[in-house]
Amino acid sequence: MTVAAPQRPAAGDARRSEGAKAERRLAAWLCAPAVIVMLAVTAYPIGYAVWLSLLRYDLRFPQEREFVGLSNYLAVLTDGYWWSAFTVTVAVTVVSVAIELALGLGLALIMHRTLFGRGTVRTLVLIPYGMVTVAAAFSWQYAWTPGTGYLANLLPEGSAPLTEQIPALAIVVLAEVWKTTPFMALLLLAGLALVPDDLLRAAQVDGAGPWQRLTRIILPMMKPAILVALLFRTLDAFRIFDNIYVLTRGNNGTASVSILGYDNLFKAFNLGIGSAISITIFICVAIIAFLFVKGFGAAAPGSEPEGRR
Amino acid sequence: MAVVATPGRKAGWSLLNLLVIVYALIPVLWIASLSFKPTSSVTDGNFIPRELTLDNYAGIFATSQFTRALINSIGIAIIATALAVTIGTMAAYAIARLNFPGKKLLIGVSLMIAMFPQISLVSPLFEIERAVGLFDTWPGLILPYITFSLPLAIYTLSAFFREIPWELEKAAKMDGATPAQAFRSVIVPLAAPGVVTSAILVFIFCWNDFLFAISLTSTEASRTVPAAISNFTGSSQFEEPTGSIAAAAMVITIPIILFVLFFQRRIVAGLTSGAVKG
Amino acid sequence: MRPRRDGRRRGIGLLAAALITAPALAGCGSDDQGVVLRFYTPADGATQYAQAAADCTEAAGGRYRIEQRTLPRQADEQRLQLARRIVGGDETLDILGMDVTWTAEFAEAGWIRPFPPRVADQVRQGTLEAAYETGTWENRLFAAPLNTNTQLLWYRTDLMPGGRPPQTWDEMIDIAEQLATQDRPSWIEVQAAQYEGLTVWFNTLLTSAGGRIVGEDGTTVRLREGDATRQALGVMKRVATARGVDPSLSQRDEGASRLAMEDGNAAFQVNYPFVLPGIQENDGGSFIDERGNPTSRDTGRRVGDVFAWAPYPAVEPGGDANVTIGGLNLAVSSTSRYPPQAFEAVQCLRNRPNQLRNAIDGGVPPTLEALYTDPAFQREYPAWRAIKASLDDASVRPESPAYQSISIVISALLNPPSEIDPHAMVGELASQVEAAVNSEGLVP
Repeated sequence: MTVAAPQRPAAGDARRSEGAKAERRLAAWLCAPAVIVMLAVTAYPIGYAVWLSLLRYDLRFPQEREFVGLSNYLAVLTDGYWWSAFTVTVAVTVVSVAIELALGLGLALIMHRTLFGRGTVRTLVLIPYGMVTVAAAFSWQYAWTPGTGYLANLLPEGSAPLTEQIPALAIVVLAEVWKTTPFMALLLLAGLALVPDDLLRAAQVDGAGPWQRLTRIILPMMKPAILVALLFRTLDAFRIFDNIYVLTRGNNGTASVSILGYDNLFKAFNLGIGSAISITIFICVAIIAFLFVKGFGAAAPGSEPEGRR
Repeated sequence: MAVVATPGRKAGWSLLNLLVIVYALIPVLWIASLSFKPTSSVTDGNFIPRELTLDNYAGIFATSQFTRALINSIGIAIIATALAVTIGTMAAYAIARLNFPGKKLLIGVSLMIAMFPQISLVSPLFEIERAVGLFDTWPGLILPYITFSLPLAIYTLSAFFREIPWELEKAAKMDGATPAQAFRSVIVPLAAPGVVTSAILVFIFCWNDFLFAISLTSTEASRTVPAAISNFTGSSQFEEPTGSIAAAAMVITIPIILFVLFFQRRIVAGLTSGAVKG
Repeated sequence: MRPRRDGRRRGIGLLAAALITAPALAGCGSDDQGVVLRFYTPADGATQYAQAAADCTEAAGGRYRIEQRTLPRQADEQRLQLARRIVGGDETLDILGMDVTWTAEFAEAGWIRPFPPRVADQVRQGTLEAAYETGTWENRLFAAPLNTNTQLLWYRTDLMPGGRPPQTWDEMIDIAEQLATQDRPSWIEVQAAQYEGLTVWFNTLLTSAGGRIVGEDGTTVRLREGDATRQALGVMKRVATARGVDPSLSQRDEGASRLAMEDGNAAFQVNYPFVLPGIQENDGGSFIDERGNPTSRDTGRRVGDVFAWAPYPAVEPGGDANVTIGGLNLAVSSTSRYPPQAFEAVQCLRNRPNQLRNAIDGGVPPTLEALYTDPAFQREYPAWRAIKASLDDASVRPESPAYQSISIVISALLNPPSEIDPHAMVGELASQVEAAVNSEGLVP
């Protein structure tokens, strides 16, 4: 792919164009493995998934494999379970990312400003990021299981929060927030480091209170970092799977779109419908990314520095 | 801002720090507590166990269900990390240092993959791997892991590469080294810290994966620990495998905690590199 | 759905689990030592199955060895693992312990082998008809019945007006509401959580009212026919909204139902026979006072002292209940390298001594008719008469390759049962089941 025609002819002398050619050749060799792997494991399968999504293909009825056009998509988009899962996913995404942003900002300010123990705090905060999601999810599950859990025992007798939709989703959000707030905080911390202290001091001298300094100076200056963090986390939250799988298995109206896709693939062994769900999720993710980049002007990380070098 | 450390402020920050520490550690301490509780008191709901036992650990290490999974997890994560970082280093160098057409496309593609919903790949990969015999094998998991961690590796590495003093490379080139030689003899040693960082991040990613692990494996031949845990059986219908799950969760959490303790600075730098520079 | 079984031998179970896994470890990479048949069973009753495997290995005189392996806990996970391994071409699957509801799906998909006619005839000999039916698909035997299971009504004699158990659901609900007004234990325990158990409850009520989910062909949905669906839904709604209902009803499974009764809060439960050894294991459950309410005081009287069983309640006065049959069947995987030996081993694994052991040690009713007249069995299995009667009237769950999807949509739609609208829901239920049967819709 990298051996395409040069975009702009090198406007230099012959020696420079010779160097540019060597550089291009080297670049092609260096990038080839990454490109090949990424294409082989994503582009080809996704194309295959599109093909599967146009088939009636249920492993339980292997003889009845046939081309059915878009009818799997029609089945998905007219199905109450899809919209329920979609609503759950959007709700969990919006709520957890909003909480993460607020908490992450607080955490970043603490890490940035704390008078002592900065190293300890920064280290410990990485534990939620590093802990295997499934392990953490089991921790939350047992914490909220009546009898076993220290948290469930704080609730009134007879309540089993993981078996009711809203409480269960609240726990899912809690588990997501716990796990990913540190990541958010670190991204924001990096943005925070770009806010010059002088500016804040000047504002303070001019009589700006802490809240004003936050909303008028810190946040606007952090906007690029915030948008990138939001983009990352939104897309990540939208594909939520592990926490829901462990906490509720998607029962009682808590299934996310990823859980729905998994269940249709592996509980129903319906590869046609399952692939249609997969592709629909893919399209949703693409739309979200597009909205962020175009709507909010989020700079896609890494997209800027090329061009210059 | 220069702040005077009055006792009041100090107490306030202590409290905040304490809150953060509690926040980070509670779920870990809780699963640790469960893992040390004997079967008789695992459902007593106490945060601090009244009596301690190592039975749960002895129990999981006595079964191939767990030990095999642990070997799989370690092997698969290490191989995937090595390959992803190697491939990623090459691409990242090109992106950070070389001018070539299609760079934008390459970055765009890897960005797309970073945001890709994994579930979308599960059904085709399940079918393809079944057809070519990769289903339920190590390579069957290593391949998607490499792919999904490549963007991460490329971002962190190219960010590191941009910081490297390139004059050295130029000097090497002036001494007659080809770009490839310059890459090998000058840049690689300088880039080592960045490579270690991205290796840690990639390892954590592979170690953490659950969706591919439960979808593309079916036996002990390749099932990793997160997938194995979710398949744990109690010894009878009425016995929840709580203690075993907690112990297994601890075993896979400890290496990560060690990583975090040793490489805190690097991890922070790696995680934030993509975001700020962009 | 595989009903829960006896947990009384927990200690032995632990020990046995350790013993079972030891050979599994040692067995790694020793494939060449003759024919090894791997026998996959649910965790529940694994001890007995491992003993059966050992006995049958001995009986085979070196022609093959049977290794018992334990599957995950949940029936869903068991099915998932087996199916995924078969479609992945795993040759190390030989004999599969299969839920009675999987037969059609596994058979239609070509995941299990039909029994050779000669073996099928031998299996049929002396096997309970209803149990045999669960192993067939399109008139061929695909899975040989090992255990069967059925539900009974378990009740508290001290709470029954006149000491007599109710005959119908309406009667039972009336008694429960009366008990509630008297402030006495009034819960009716059913399996109403969102899982297979809820589908079983619905299917039993539906067939007792004369209805069916799908026809013989496995594809025609018959939920709209007649009034049976509405009747069944009406009973569910009434149970879930009766005065004095268990507030956690919509989360109850077999184990939770059993415990609610042992704790003294329930007057009734419909459940599998494992509850009897269960309450004995727990020393008869909670103490009860003179009004029948649970108390921590040592009154000298426990739930177990007033615990009795009766036939499953009917929907219509004077009618019979057709209780949904459960149990475990044995099938041979299509990926097995040794089908003849596997079929032979299946016959051994389900022979009389092994079934007797499963019944006595594991609490599961056998599928060999002759055992029900065996005095040793009758002695160990006090509820045998009611169980046999219930099995003779048993109803089978829909035989359809898409059963799993059917069950999932039913349990998703009917949970929580308090929100069922018996009139409005018939059409929705029927159309969702139709989509599931044709593998057109989504499963939640």
